[in-house]
Amino acid sequence: MNAEVANVALSVRGLRKSFGDFVALDGVDMSVNRGEVRAVIGPNGAGKTTLINVLSGHYVADAGDVHVEGKRLKRQYPHQVSRLGVGRTFQISSTFRRMTVYDNMLCAHNSRRGNWLSLKVSQLRNLRDLVMRDLETISLDHLATQVVDDISHGDRKRLEFGMVLATQPQLLLLDEPTAGMGLSERHELIDLVLDVSRERGLTLLFVEHDIDVVFKAAEQITVMALGKVFAEGTPAEIAQNSDVQEIYLGKKA
Amino acid sequence: MVTPKDEIAMAVPRVRDPYDINWLLTVGIMIIMSALLLISPTLVVFALIEIMIFALYASALNLLLSYSGFVSFGHAVYFGLGSYGLAITMANFGWPMWAGIVSGPLVSAFFGLLYGALCIQLTKIYAAMLTLACAELTFAVVFQWFEFTGGDSGISGHVPAMLGFAPEHFGLIVLVVVAISIIFLWRVIHSPLGLTIKAVGQNPGRAAAMGHSRKHVQLVAFVISAFLSGIAGTLFGLFHGNVFPDYVGVLFTIDGLVMVLLGGLYSFGAGIYGAIVYKILDNLVAHYFQYWQLVIGVILIIVVLVSPSGVSGLINKIIGRIRGSDER
Repeated sequence: MNAEVANVALSVRGLRKSFGDFVALDGVDMSVNRGEVRAVIGPNGAGKTTLINVLSGHYVADAGDVHVEGKRLKRQYPHQVSRLGVGRTFQISSTFRRMTVYDNMLCAHNSRRGNWLSLKVSQLRNLRDLVMRDLETISLDHLATQVVDDISHGDRKRLEFGMVLATQPQLLLLDEPTAGMGLSERHELIDLVLDVSRERGLTLLFVEHDIDVVFKAAEQITVMALGKVFAEGTPAEIAQNSDVQEIYLGKKA
Repeated sequence: MVTPKDEIAMAVPRVRDPYDINWLLTVGIMIIMSALLLISPTLVVFALIEIMIFALYASALNLLLSYSGFVSFGHAVYFGLGSYGLAITMANFGWPMWAGIVSGPLVSAFFGLLYGALCIQLTKIYAAMLTLACAELTFAVVFQWFEFTGGDSGISGHVPAMLGFAPEHFGLIVLVVVAISIIFLWRVIHSPLGLTIKAVGQNPGRAAAMGHSRKHVQLVAFVISAFLSGIAGTLFGLFHGNVFPDYVGVLFTIDGLVMVLLGGLYSFGAGIYGAIVYKILDNLVAHYFQYWQLVIGVILIIVVLVSPSGVSGLINKIIGRIRGSDER
């Protein structure tokens, strides 16, 4: 294995996925280096969310290969993919709505550091400091005793991100992390995501519609359209690319 | 004067520590129940025994309904198989009484594992229908396999009713067994396992993304629930000294569901409160009024309207389950 391959966190080859007649992924190839921040953009229906769902095991691909940290994914279920070190957030934030903020974070820690079949209360008590530390990291410690149903949309998104981090992933898949948030909230969240990812050396792949956020955060951008990779490059290259301008702004006359 | 210790206490917001059992409350309830059993007239003692047994059965069902996100529409199977486990091992196999008593809950747990493994393959309303199918199948076998189960005349005479004790003394035995079982259930729900069961019940997609298999977790919850229902059923078999196909029948299933609903979903006490209210209504109203089921129906409607918290919760949950979550 040469040095270049060893540095690849995620490699996708010829990935295909159809729903009936609709081809969502039509042969996607991409490669993301370890520690890289990669944005995936593209018009609606380009296959961005499908890509994330295939990578996280929520959908089974029709064809193609996915390697995460050199390990090949073969039809694993989401819970198995998660144990390989792939964490994800959902387009609509996905938390445990009838539990407190504290219990949500506790669940995340318990799923990695504890035995889920255990009846020992001490296992939960021992996680208390870790849980509070992580709630501080995402500035939700003051809401620890609130039920998630009662907190704001933005706080829920932050909580979800924090919970995913607590499962100690190496590769983080974020599906529209800032969707539905206010402008300042968006930038706060994305700064938090970048800080934590850099600190822990995580590989980040995120789907995002807010172009400001994309150009601020991404080191590399993949543009998808009609289930294919349409262009790839640094933010500067993508900004210059006339083909990309076309799919976003419509064909020039 | 603020000590360093206080500062730490202030810096870390108070997080509810729900893991401890309230022993004062537990012991208090047990003393009151014991007193009631010892001073009440026999008919009331019978009612108290039924309440305790059904409180355990409904609490076991509540583990599934309120926490695991898996609806069982045939839970009387695991209740009734407790009674049948006791009766068949003693009457057909000639086992001693202690072995029969141990067999009851184990037979229930075994069928919980068997049917549970089948039913968790599906989700939402389809899984619930499968639990109903398993229950119908069991009822048909129990009802028709005359040589083995006694068919519609059931099995009796294998054990004296109430083990031959005076009602109040049998009531004390039931009290201790039910209390231990419900404390065990509390422990389960407030343990790491319970947290995982709640996580899967509230959001199987997120739980999977954390590394939990919905099927594994729900199966464990199902077997625990079947086992505890089997304890209740075994006690019921000992109480009456017999067993009939009704014990696995649809009416006993509905009793359990109504109790949990009455008690209010998403609370630990749902089964206990529900059993108390339902059995009191059952006994009182039936005593004074010929069409007692009609009265209970009306009371149920009033309770639902006046205190919608539990019931609206169920409706939301059922709607959510029919619409489904983004789970594979």
